[in-house]
Amino acid sequence: MSLILIALLGIAGCSGGKDASTKVIVSGSTTILPIAEQAAEAFVDENPDTQVLVSGLGSSAGIEAVSAGTANVGTSSRDLKPEEEELGLVDTPIAYDGIAVIVSPANPVDGLTSEQLQDIFSGKITNWSDVGGADRDIQLVNRDEASGTREAFKKIVMGDVSFDPAAAVLPGTGQVRDVVARAPGAIGYISAGFVTPRFTNVKVKAIDVDGVAPTEKNIGTSAYPVGRTLHFFTKGTPEGVTKDFIDFVLSDDVQKGVVVDAGFIPIAEGGGK
Amino acid sequence: MKELALKGIFFTCAFAFVLAVALIFIFVGWKAWPIVTDYGFGKFITGSVWSASKELYGILPLIVGSVIVTLGALALGTPLAVGTAVFLSEVASPKVRAVVRPAVELLAGVPSVVYGFFGIILVRAIVARFTGTLGFGAFTAWIVLGIMIVPTIAALSEDALRSIPEGIREASFAMGATRWQTIYKVVVPAAKIGIIDAIILGMGRAIGETMAVLMVVGNAPVFPQDIFSPLSTMTTQIVMDMPYAVGLHRTALFAMAAMLFVFSMLLVATVRLLSKLRD
Repeated sequence: MSLILIALLGIAGCSGGKDASTKVIVSGSTTILPIAEQAAEAFVDENPDTQVLVSGLGSSAGIEAVSAGTANVGTSSRDLKPEEEELGLVDTPIAYDGIAVIVSPANPVDGLTSEQLQDIFSGKITNWSDVGGADRDIQLVNRDEASGTREAFKKIVMGDVSFDPAAAVLPGTGQVRDVVARAPGAIGYISAGFVTPRFTNVKVKAIDVDGVAPTEKNIGTSAYPVGRTLHFFTKGTPEGVTKDFIDFVLSDDVQKGVVVDAGFIPIAEGGGK
Repeated sequence: MKELALKGIFFTCAFAFVLAVALIFIFVGWKAWPIVTDYGFGKFITGSVWSASKELYGILPLIVGSVIVTLGALALGTPLAVGTAVFLSEVASPKVRAVVRPAVELLAGVPSVVYGFFGIILVRAIVARFTGTLGFGAFTAWIVLGIMIVPTIAALSEDALRSIPEGIREASFAMGATRWQTIYKVVVPAAKIGIIDAIILGMGRAIGETMAVLMVVGNAPVFPQDIFSPLSTMTTQIVMDMPYAVGLHRTALFAMAAMLFVFSMLLVATVRLLSKLRD
């Protein structure tokens, strides 16, 4: 029995395979996950000796992982908090993104003001009829506190006002989208890049905020009010394969390919917040 | 010589296991202790706001959430499980048993994330459609968890029923009792303590279950307004917060883990006590 255990441990210990100098661990934001995953795939195709491991647990988890040294790159869809600024992290912005407020396609409401959004997400307004919709309860869908999307939405829309704690809290962008798509009274927020993903025909409706639609153009020019920058954080200046990977993500191929395909705005095109 | 060596090996196995449990307990307790010194145990247990961004770690809503989810799941799962056990042990012909029994055992082996996935895709969507809510909440969790605890309770209850000597049933039949009377007046009461054991162990599984519950409760750390509104339990909150928790926040999660440890110790102690009563 113990022999088997030892053998198993031995196998587990050896399965690391490639050593640290050819391996990049990328961890963090679920918003950035599709960019990171597709970029990683293309990067490994071009550099077959390397290995890029990508995971998404939320921006805070990414920042935590890169500062603890368990990841080479921490991806984040929010800026650093004041207490995180002393961690010695180097910021490489990789794209801009808008946060779209989404409702079910069955919901007649097409737009809300920032104040209405704040009142809805703080639990002050609880019925759609108060904002020009049908007489139906509003069901809030929020993100978890590790989410950079939540942090950015909070900073831009909520200010000092707290989220309604009774809102459902879902751990990923995909889940928020899926739940809102099927619930006629629901409202949530996701990265604009996820409003019309390629692999699903379950639809959500992105509504106007302060009269501006979350189109690529409006996010790029900062006309749409709820936008943010997507970051790659590294502990110190990136070196070696990590640097190669980041340079690859910033290259025209990825910026004009993967980044645009995923619905984000390339970093070189300005705008954002 | 060989026997001595074997004895040594088995002793080492058992000792290593006990040591592992003790070490985990000490580690969790040690990590959780600052909640008493830095935060206040009373504030931790009776506080009604859990919000990491405001540095408030009151777990009362989470305890209430765990209790609601567990008790509801037991209420749904127990009759189903005990019924299954009675069927398997008293009613089913060997041929039928040969089909049903592996099916129940199969249910026990399905990873909980599969139940959760089934719960969020199917059960939640159905509940949402019929109630006009999001479908997250206690009710959905009861259904998913109720199904999950059936194999545990059914298997152990069946053991308890089977351990009742055949002679008792024969005596009952000899007195002119029907099969149904024999089951509910004689066999089930005789196996009562064993069945209660089974239910308590099922309860342990329900309290500790995390993945499936996480996917269907909605994870709002508040006292739920009704059975269709989001709530959170101790286990799910640990998973939600674990990836990014630091400092006092992490301590609070460890303290919650310690609470769960104490809960399950109390449950095991209850089972031990009941087993003693039976002997």
